[in-house]
Amino acid sequence: MALAHELSIERSGAKARRRQWTNFAVFLGPAILLTIVFFIIPVIIDIIVSFTDMGRSLRVTEFSTRQYQRILAGDRGLTAAVGITFVYVLGTLALFNISFGLVLALLTTSIGRASGAFFRAVWLLPRMSPSVLYILLWIWVINPSKFGLLNQVLMTVFGLSRPLDPLTDAPMTLIIIANGFIGASLGMVIFTSAIRGIPEHLFHAARVDGAGGLSIIRHITLPALRWPISFVTIFQTLALMVSFEYILLLTKGGPFNATTVYALYVYRRAFEGGQYAYGAALALFLIVLGIIVALLGWRFFDMQRLLQRPRIEVQ
Amino acid sequence: MTGSIANGIGLRAAGRIVMKRAIFGALAALTLIATPVAAETVKLELWARKDTSGPLRAENVVKAGARLNAALKAEGSDQQVEVAVRESPAPGFDDDALQLLRVFGIGQGPDMFVAAHEWICAFQKEGFALKLDAYIAKYPSLFDKIIPSLWDSTKCRGGRYAIPQDAEARMFFYNKKLLRKAGYDDAFIEALPKRAMSGDLTMDDLLDIAKQVVDKGGAKYGILHRPSIGPDYIMVFQAYGNSFVDPDTGKLLLERKKLAAAYGWIERGVKMGVIPANNTSMEWDTIKAEFYKNNDVAFWMYGIWDLGSAAFPTFGVPSDEASFSKDWGWIACPPVEKGGKPTSLTHPIVYAVAAGTKNPDLAVRLLGYASSEDLNTDHAVSTTHLGIRSDQADDPRYQKAWSLAKASELLPITKFLPNNPQFGDLNRIIYSAIQGVESGKLTGQGAADFVIDQAKSSLDNIIIE
Repeated sequence: MALAHELSIERSGAKARRRQWTNFAVFLGPAILLTIVFFIIPVIIDIIVSFTDMGRSLRVTEFSTRQYQRILAGDRGLTAAVGITFVYVLGTLALFNISFGLVLALLTTSIGRASGAFFRAVWLLPRMSPSVLYILLWIWVINPSKFGLLNQVLMTVFGLSRPLDPLTDAPMTLIIIANGFIGASLGMVIFTSAIRGIPEHLFHAARVDGAGGLSIIRHITLPALRWPISFVTIFQTLALMVSFEYILLLTKGGPFNATTVYALYVYRRAFEGGQYAYGAALALFLIVLGIIVALLGWRFFDMQRLLQRPRIEVQ
Repeated sequence: MTGSIANGIGLRAAGRIVMKRAIFGALAALTLIATPVAAETVKLELWARKDTSGPLRAENVVKAGARLNAALKAEGSDQQVEVAVRESPAPGFDDDALQLLRVFGIGQGPDMFVAAHEWICAFQKEGFALKLDAYIAKYPSLFDKIIPSLWDSTKCRGGRYAIPQDAEARMFFYNKKLLRKAGYDDAFIEALPKRAMSGDLTMDDLLDIAKQVVDKGGAKYGILHRPSIGPDYIMVFQAYGNSFVDPDTGKLLLERKKLAAAYGWIERGVKMGVIPANNTSMEWDTIKAEFYKNNDVAFWMYGIWDLGSAAFPTFGVPSDEASFSKDWGWIACPPVEKGGKPTSLTHPIVYAVAAGTKNPDLAVRLLGYASSEDLNTDHAVSTTHLGIRSDQADDPRYQKAWSLAKASELLPITKFLPNNPQFGDLNRIIYSAIQGVESGKLTGQGAADFVIDQAKSSLDNIIIE
């Protein structure tokens, strides 16, 4: 009898373990597989390629640390690209992805639900448009002749005498705005949902206490947005550091490398110059840079505390 | 005892095998005798860039297949060729060459390919291009009419690795209407080509004329050049004495003073308001429309094929000589100082054979037939490219194409780009520095320093003076 009981416990234990493994495979398996195939393996390949002499014919004849020596010996283009990346990431993040996203969220939640949803949908359009189409529209808008949309407005409405050429005169501003219009929508959606999550009675109580609109934003809304702001900042910093497709399409990294960010520089060296090993070594530096930025952000925003389970459960 | 039994079994088994082989051999022989000889079809693949300014480069090879097959049949050969074209969508010959190098690198290369001549040594260096001297000597009737100087554009380390497909001349086109509007008389305008050829017109004179056309003729631009990496602007550097290659060693050569002088000319052009700061970010179509259609550009630095590819068919520029010459013309790239030598640049496109092809002989013969007088003339007259053979001059169709005959006058002063495996990479840096000068971020001297710095950090075996 005792033996049968023990056997049944063992069986149910084995069943539970099996179920645990099945659940693991079903729920986590695909995510782990995708991570391995699209993140871990490419990083390993990148590391291997960076220690070779792979050139434009993709052939490897030796393994060496030559590519790293070249980087450390000083690459003027690389130094410039790091500086440009810093300005681009900081500018886009500060002006659009956080600030403008926040402004959009605050404005669209302060008006009626339907009109708020309408304006949010409008600001989501840049993100929904295919990148080539989106940039094509930009190229038409900023056409340096009097026929460009921007110049038509400036010349006919504001009486500007000569057409502007932002592509040549203000390329950095241009890529920050073009990327910012897309990036702002993510912040807007996340901040909107966070604002909607704030218990409404807090706003009513503040109003009763005589708080004005700005005071409510400062003392009720913004403190509740600390976590989403931290998340959007870290996430968007990393995303901006590695993305370059809009820059490539709009300015091609120019004029004269004025908008060649780090990721675009890597692409140029590897795929346009055929220096795959050197490009891989540069990309590895970018991965390391990304990890450092993520860790700094984690520390700066005290993400550990923000990610803790709530100690009090409100029923 | 056991050993002898084993030996006996072994002998019997061996006997059976011999018997089987004999029967199989007899059957095979009977089959061969009984069936008629089947023609062997050899598939040859050509890699060619999809290029509107030269669609016949690939089509002529396909047409040549029939000619080669006829020749093979006449020789009693049981081989026949079938030509397949793999079209690459690359926007330019540089991108195309880089793509093809990767394709060869992963072992998926074609049997033959079309390339810009300056890339041929990159293919040779990687071991992807076949040395053709022996084959060319073997089939003299196919190749002996090709203009001797054009073979220089196919040479690497003394050997010929390609067959010239076409040639052209690059020049400064000019809009006579605008010059007249700016106050220049017809005698002055019509004399420009001769003055450039005789060395009487200089590079700085060109800037002055362009300035006057902008200031007094109301033109939007004085001089425009291509908005992408390519060969034409190298003419300006050649005018200032930059050859980019050391004749003794064949290594790339960068001469700081000469580079600074060439970039200085561009810098002066920008400062004078003649060359626009955004030339490199303009669209191709916009540039051509501004020049040919809107009459807003005094000089357009490009090549003769642009007439057949764009000016006549797209922008309605009259194609008969008299009407064209009334309002349009072209000059060679003038010398730097009076009495100096003018320059022009030809940029032959070439056919090459892959080193790894299983049928090199057939591939070379096929390309030889594709270089026939009539087929090459089809390409030359339909896209305004210069021919490659001496006998093309006698072809009535070629003679009728007045622009080719006129452009051929530039051939005595024409130069090539250096056939160096790294020139494509260097040209990328040269173009980037042009962008730097035009956007005001570099001076002429700064651009020369930039090119040398960048070349030092990314190219091997360069000579700097």
